[in-house]
Amino acid sequence: MKIPIHRNEPQGIIKNLFWNQQQKIAPYLFIAPFYLLFVIFMGYPLISSLVMSLYEMRGFQSRVFVGFGNFTDLFGDPIFWKSLRNTAYFAVGTLTLQLPIALLLAILLNSKFVKGKNFLRLAFFAPVLVAGVFVAIIFNLVYDQRAGLVNQEFLLFGKEIGWLNEENYVMPAVILTGVWQWAGFNMIYFLAGLQGIRQELYEAAAVDGANGWQAFIHVTLPSLRPVIAFVFVVSMIGSLQLFDLPFILTNGGEPADAGSTIVMYLYKNGFQFMRLGYAATIGWVLFFIIAVISIVQLKLLGIFRDE
Amino acid sequence: MFRFPIDAESFPLGKGPMVMLILFLISTLFIFGRSEEQGEDLEFWIFANTHYEEYQARVPIFEAQNPGVNVQLINFGGTMHDKLLAAMLSNFGAPDLVEVEITSIGRFLKGAIDEVGFVDLRPRLESEGWMDRLVVSRFTPWSYRGRIFGIPHDLHPVVLLYRDDLFKAAGVEMTEIETWDDFIAAGKKATRDLDGDGKVDQYAIVLDRRTESDYFSLLLQQGGGFFDAEGNVIIDSELAIETLEFFTALFNEHKIATPVYGTWHGDPSNFAAMQDGKILSILAPDWYVGILKSQVPQMSGKWKAVGMPAWHPGGRRTTTRGGTMIGITKQCENPDRAWELLKFTYFDRLGLVNRYETTRIIPPLKAAWDAPIFKEPDVYLGGQPLGELFIQLAPDLPPRYQNPYWSEGADLLNDAIFAAVTEKQTPREALTDLAEKVRALMAKDRGRWGDM
Repeated sequence: MKIPIHRNEPQGIIKNLFWNQQQKIAPYLFIAPFYLLFVIFMGYPLISSLVMSLYEMRGFQSRVFVGFGNFTDLFGDPIFWKSLRNTAYFAVGTLTLQLPIALLLAILLNSKFVKGKNFLRLAFFAPVLVAGVFVAIIFNLVYDQRAGLVNQEFLLFGKEIGWLNEENYVMPAVILTGVWQWAGFNMIYFLAGLQGIRQELYEAAAVDGANGWQAFIHVTLPSLRPVIAFVFVVSMIGSLQLFDLPFILTNGGEPADAGSTIVMYLYKNGFQFMRLGYAATIGWVLFFIIAVISIVQLKLLGIFRDE
Repeated sequence: MFRFPIDAESFPLGKGPMVMLILFLISTLFIFGRSEEQGEDLEFWIFANTHYEEYQARVPIFEAQNPGVNVQLINFGGTMHDKLLAAMLSNFGAPDLVEVEITSIGRFLKGAIDEVGFVDLRPRLESEGWMDRLVVSRFTPWSYRGRIFGIPHDLHPVVLLYRDDLFKAAGVEMTEIETWDDFIAAGKKATRDLDGDGKVDQYAIVLDRRTESDYFSLLLQQGGGFFDAEGNVIIDSELAIETLEFFTALFNEHKIATPVYGTWHGDPSNFAAMQDGKILSILAPDWYVGILKSQVPQMSGKWKAVGMPAWHPGGRRTTTRGGTMIGITKQCENPDRAWELLKFTYFDRLGLVNRYETTRIIPPLKAAWDAPIFKEPDVYLGGQPLGELFIQLAPDLPPRYQNPYWSEGADLLNDAIFAAVTEKQTPREALTDLAEKVRALMAKDRGRWGDM
């Protein structure tokens, strides 16, 4: 039986055109929701904040074009530099303390000699399930000057350290808290990486006479390079975006901005001082810092190398 | 027979996801299908739990008195001020009524005075004669350029709370202290190394060197401030410098003050030091006494209170610290109705007496002060009628002039105080630098926008 095609009817032409085009249009329609949401919730705010960084607002309605005035002001702002130093201090402290601890924990939990591995994995991972705000509240008690867990130990030696009250101790306190919260999380990445290393490599190394340390240096670490690079970059980005932990732990970055970070300074300018243009400028400077550091890290770790 | 086209077996991923989807659809229909209550809505945002609890109990009375009016109380806690800022920036979503904390109000005053997001309440206050019935100096934190954007929730007078037993043990009778010089002399007797190990075991006073709270209270006590009534920076005045010199001397020269333990006066560390007898006195507003009672009830009966030492004989014996206002936003569609609710929550004598009963906050409405409850003995203070002391001091509260640059100024003032107390800068250098920074900021803004 023949199906009649009404080529001359306008409705039929449109119908045919639609059916002919649908194969081409369909993929775009499927991916459209993502792009639509991205443009609304990411693209527009990003461009808007870039434009905002060239303006300064005063009040809820008035704004004036200042060009790169906010950027020049920022580079001459001592509190910004102090916040940047604190943030860098935290990032370096975190990377040098947290990542080796995370790797060590992963190696221990991957070895045959440790018992109760599942429980230990959960125990080390658990802190990351606690929201940063609560971690800060808990550690406020841990660092309590009179009755805190840490000072109780120091008090035995007659020391009473104002962890959150003296300039020099504030960032170490924040770093140690960060280690407690995130080491277990990074341990999971390392553990996954360790479990992906083929056993034959260790067997071959043993045949060549390598001891445990040599196997670690020449087999484990090179095999973990992509995981290390990932954890390194992600931890660095997380460290540079630090906000809630020191904000609550130090009650807004005091004393003397010793606990202030770049994002905290951004928040203060945007929401407490109502200097939205300046806050947007801090955001973009932070973006460039993160982008440059991440690219340098990835290059140094050889992620862009062809193998 | 009718058969539902999808059953549990044929549903993608099985029975569990299907049940979850059905529950989701039912709950969505339930939430969105609820009929809206008829009548006029008034939205009221709050950030303090104690205030929220008080209004929860009182609002049904207002609704009964005003049929058809539904009051929605929303307690956003600490994030409320940021939400309000976003709502005012977008000119959408602000409540009809809102309470704002004293250190946050400055940011809402930025820009042209006509752009401030709160209704000027001065005409209503004056036409209805409320100004004279309240403590007039308490309007200053909520006023700018002649307009009154909020009504004070409280007075927050400050007293000196002290350990009578420990001062007496050191041979000091605190009720005889009249001036700060008297206090220093008494403090030197009371600050002691009790066990002879070379370390001080008890300090005459605990002061916050991390933030402006104690220093600024002392400055206000003398009639000083960060800004004057015209909005000029006066934090580098001789009065301000001398006050900071006095403040640093309490730590470094007289050695009778200890820095606050932890991050503020309400830190568990600080309470632990109090219980250990390390702290003998503290500058305490009414709300802080409430915190002490709830956090360290075991210290009941150990504290007593006197007016703050004056700067000269016969001088002011109090200051003020903290505060909250209520304001009507410009997004409110019926400001008259909002004003009625405002008066009900802030000017009703019975309500204010109830508020004192639960929070111990002294109200700014003078007509409430003769209620018997204020004369009742306070068990926590060994039977001393603390309410009576606060009310005696209340009429003498100093003004605290508000300014859009307060937030920036206070942030820098914190650093200046810490630098002076830790002797990184002299008080004069610290405050002169600070004043120059804030003036430069204001001048830059004036250059961009003119005098707004």
